[in-house]
Amino acid sequence: MLDLGFLAFTQPWLLGALALLPAIWLLLRVTPPAPRRALFPPLRILLRLERREETPARTPLWLLLLRLALAALLVLATAGPVLQPAPHLPGTGPLLIVLDDGWASAPGWRERIATLESLLDQAEREGRETLLLRTAPDERGVVLERGLAGEFRRGLEGLRPRPWPVDRAAARAALADLEGREVTSVWLADGLARDEDDRTRARALAEALRALGPLLVYADPPERTALLLSLPELAADGFELAAQRATGVGGERRTVRALGPEGEILAAAELVFAEGERRAKLRLALPPDLRNRVARLEIPGAGIGGVVLLDERWRRRSVGIVGAPFGGADQPLLSEVYFLERALAPFAEVRRGALSELVTGDPSMIVLPDIGRLADPDRELLARWVERGGVLLRFAGPRLAAGGDSLLPVPLRAGDRELGGALSWSEPLPLAPFPPESPFAGLVPTRETVVRRQILAEPGPQLSGAVWAQLEDGTPIVTGRRLGQGWLVLVHTTANTAWTNLPLSGLFVEMLRRTLALAPGTGVVRRGLLELDRALAADGALEPPRPDLLPVEAGALAAAVPGPRHPPGLWIPVGADRDETGRTALNLQAGVREPLPLPLHEFASNLRGYGRAREVDLAPWLLLAALLLALVDLVIGWALRGLVPLPRPGAVATAAALLATFPALAQPDPRFAAAYETRFAYFLTGRPDVDRITEAGLRGLGRVLAERTSVEVGDPVPVDPARDDLALFPLVFWVVTPDHRDLSSEALKRIQHFLQTGGMIFVDTRDAAVLLPGQEGGGPGERRLAQLLAGLDLPPLQRVPPDHVLTRSFYLLQDFPGRFTGQPLWVDQVSPLINDGVSSLVIGANDWTAAWAEDEWGRTLFSVVPGGELQREMARRFGVNLVMYALTGNYKTDQVHVPALLERLGQ
Amino acid sequence: MSVDAASARAPDLVALRRGAEALAARLPGLLVEAERVAATVAQGVHGRRRTGVGETFWQFRVYQPGDDRRDIDWRQSARSRHLFVREQEWEAAQSVWIWCDTSLSMRFRSARDLPSKLERALVLALALAALLVRGGERVALVGSGERPRPGRSGLERLMRSLEPALARRESLPPPADLPRFAQLVLLSDFLEPPEALSARIAPWVAAGVRGCLLAIADPAEELLPWNGRVLFEGPEGEGRALVGNVAAVRTRYAELYRAHREEIERRVVRQNWRITRHRTDSTAETALLALYQLLAPEAVR
Repeated sequence: MLDLGFLAFTQPWLLGALALLPAIWLLLRVTPPAPRRALFPPLRILLRLERREETPARTPLWLLLLRLALAALLVLATAGPVLQPAPHLPGTGPLLIVLDDGWASAPGWRERIATLESLLDQAEREGRETLLLRTAPDERGVVLERGLAGEFRRGLEGLRPRPWPVDRAAARAALADLEGREVTSVWLADGLARDEDDRTRARALAEALRALGPLLVYADPPERTALLLSLPELAADGFELAAQRATGVGGERRTVRALGPEGEILAAAELVFAEGERRAKLRLALPPDLRNRVARLEIPGAGIGGVVLLDERWRRRSVGIVGAPFGGADQPLLSEVYFLERALAPFAEVRRGALSELVTGDPSMIVLPDIGRLADPDRELLARWVERGGVLLRFAGPRLAAGGDSLLPVPLRAGDRELGGALSWSEPLPLAPFPPESPFAGLVPTRETVVRRQILAEPGPQLSGAVWAQLEDGTPIVTGRRLGQGWLVLVHTTANTAWTNLPLSGLFVEMLRRTLALAPGTGVVRRGLLELDRALAADGALEPPRPDLLPVEAGALAAAVPGPRHPPGLWIPVGADRDETGRTALNLQAGVREPLPLPLHEFASNLRGYGRAREVDLAPWLLLAALLLALVDLVIGWALRGLVPLPRPGAVATAAALLATFPALAQPDPRFAAAYETRFAYFLTGRPDVDRITEAGLRGLGRVLAERTSVEVGDPVPVDPARDDLALFPLVFWVVTPDHRDLSSEALKRIQHFLQTGGMIFVDTRDAAVLLPGQEGGGPGERRLAQLLAGLDLPPLQRVPPDHVLTRSFYLLQDFPGRFTGQPLWVDQVSPLINDGVSSLVIGANDWTAAWAEDEWGRTLFSVVPGGELQREMARRFGVNLVMYALTGNYKTDQVHVPALLERLGQ
Repeated sequence: MSVDAASARAPDLVALRRGAEALAARLPGLLVEAERVAATVAQGVHGRRRTGVGETFWQFRVYQPGDDRRDIDWRQSARSRHLFVREQEWEAAQSVWIWCDTSLSMRFRSARDLPSKLERALVLALALAALLVRGGERVALVGSGERPRPGRSGLERLMRSLEPALARRESLPPPADLPRFAQLVLLSDFLEPPEALSARIAPWVAAGVRGCLLAIADPAEELLPWNGRVLFEGPEGEGRALVGNVAAVRTRYAELYRAHREEIERRVVRQNWRITRHRTDSTAETALLALYQLLAPEAVR
């Protein structure tokens, strides 16, 4: 084998045939080409020409070179050329391939297999015995496989990385059989260690390999080693995420996505590893409804290390309400349990029952509706549960007024206080604004929510710190206190309408939601045997589990490290339904917390990378090239003999010139690109993430328009009002975030001009996400918009009247939901004399662009709350109407007059 | 190579033969084209002289003493009080003998968009005949054994007799007895040796026959537009000539070709016959006009 570095020949002696090339050269030179044949009537005249000495016409030089190239190609092809030959393997003994096939090898698995394949090719060529050691254990542990390279090659297709860590100590032990033999080792390493001990074990493995013979180590470059997404922690408004990488080389950005149970994307955010940092953190903000749906967090493309499956511990919190649903009440729809159940059901799993039952179920929160004194065993049980982190929410009522127990946040006065009763001078009192340190801070109480009766707290030094909410006169209405890791919370009034109308208000729901957010997702501690329902493969996909896997005791699983006996995945109680609530997730992260880099360069003097392409056998390609050249030669031969008409040089030149000018003609001026088709623009907000959503939203809207209407829009154009000309766009989208960058006076001037000359701007403040139901406007985006447009002369705004063209420009609509709903839409009031009475400014807060946003495969990017896909459809319809309004103005208003006009014509 | 050449040559001849048959089948079509060509030329040559009278009838004239009674047209005379005699056209029609070279060399064309020499010659022969019979002359094909006939029937007979002539593939006019002072029109490429032509026409010259010759050539024969190494073959089995570099011999060939033509022309003109040239890449009308004007002093006033 002749090795030239990038090229090698397996049959180099055949290259000797290249020496024949000069002979071919001479031969070709003296053999004239076959003459053309032509019929010629005046042949007699031609025959009278003096016969001069005729030198045969030479074969043209280029033809000669072509034929020589053909011959050379044939010779090279037969010599067995191999491009990028695998480097030569040292030693002569058996070849031992140590393959790190644990979770960390998943992202670069194909390169590893390609490397393995070329190694096996070489071993097969050199006829070596081959040993394969996969360091991730299977049920048998780590086993040394012996065989021929060809057999291993056939098995390569089925080789998959294993979704658990490698066991290098076991790998070292498996080498014991080879002691004393001369073995060449190749270690396809993943470059990661679980911890310091694992590093030591890796070093020991390397030592053992070196003791056997020469050692080659293949490794990923540091920036390509696997990532590990840590288990998320719950935060009040979403998840705290963190990810680890082995080395801090280079900055890196990875997307993190939160997926729902059906694989829908609920949220996405970007994780940024700073240069030199091994950890990246991110707070993924999600509304509670969405957070409860998250079933999986993933970094796409990072394999199993970038996947965390979420189960009960992170998801829906369960709430236990003590008391039978309609127990004993003669008016079940007025019972406290009924009110609580209705208020909690949207965001929590609610169970009812006796206290002892509920505590064993280990819910996140237990609600006691007006229970005065708990029996001692119950109280102790409950106290222990709270100390472990539970949240106990109690409500007052006649029974508690009669006397409480010790499980209360504050000492109570006996009896209750009545406001606005027949014998009282006072009026029922509304709630005061919540104190800033209260968990309820930020909620806005309404005047209509009043309390008529309450239980009073005993004044004392601890009282002020425990007050979460108070009435306007300062008496506490909600108090809370920590007990151990949990909370004791008391609402000093009833959970039904007996003492207050608070349970009728949306505020009540919000307060319960905030209270529940204090509780950890304690989930349910399962007992009994669990079996694997869906296994998590090393590439991060869920798949059916191996059939021969044994069930595992629930307690053992909780402490288990992922491995062949406990593969990561979703486990369910044996024989149970596959309902989502019953699943327990075992994640890779239970066994691997903080991967460390392996000092591989200490193990072998030179590291090789996986990146090398496999050997390419060039012979077929060279033969193909030779065949093509032969065909070309044949055609040229025919042409020289006049059998094929050759195109005239002039025509060739014209064609070439035409071809050369075509691209030039086809290149439009980019400045006018927006004028060739209808395109929408959006203002750059200064926040790339928001701009990306807007762009995705406009693309999604464009697709909807193309499908349903005759409007076909091009790609959305980002514009900067300070710099770009707006005149080319019929409609400009403007998402105003609270931190929107300032606009220069030049930009304001352009915007004003655009609006006055018939342009339309659609402003989306996205406030609906942060406003409460019932609140109209006043969000941060709106305030920012007001600041930005302060210098502009704009007509007054009005709510979209029911007969506005926007409500019927394509679809008939009466409200305009976006990703969120509930916020009104505003248009400017214009006189019908100006601009045909078409509004030029449309302002709303429902975050429409997010509802429209789609990725390049047409999948929606954001879920829509609370109405789901129906609401998204309405959001799309609104988008269609808006575009129609922008493009057709008051056309639809004219249309509605048609019956009247026809009637008048008829007279 | 030589075997190849022989086997490759045979299909050429077969193709030519087949071409001749196809050409014969196309004769009526050629006649139509000839009529068209003739009509164009007729208008150009003597449109002012013929005002639509028939072939034999010339005019009615009032009877004058001395006229033959048999000439009185009774039908015309019955319409008026005078007697009218019918005057015939002055009939001094000449007979024109036409011959067209049908040899294989005539079936050559150098480019797809050109007609072969034979095709052009046939068109011209028929067009000339059509023109002549319109002028009242009588036409016949040399070697057909027919006698010259006037009118449309003469034209059709000529056409029919062309068919066997195509099969004969004559490269020189056949020796035939022509009446004294007959007109003879020869259409050929005249690639035969000049002496052979001289020998063939000598008896006719002696008989006082007047001849007009049209030498038809393909542009390629004049220009020799090939390049490089070319093996030329004669269509009539004259042999082959391998030219190593055609460009080198082009000038010399052109000289020889011109000399050949001039020799032919010299020999013809010496007999007080007329000759003109035609190349297939120019239109048939120009050739017909030229040919007709050669004939004009004798045949057409």
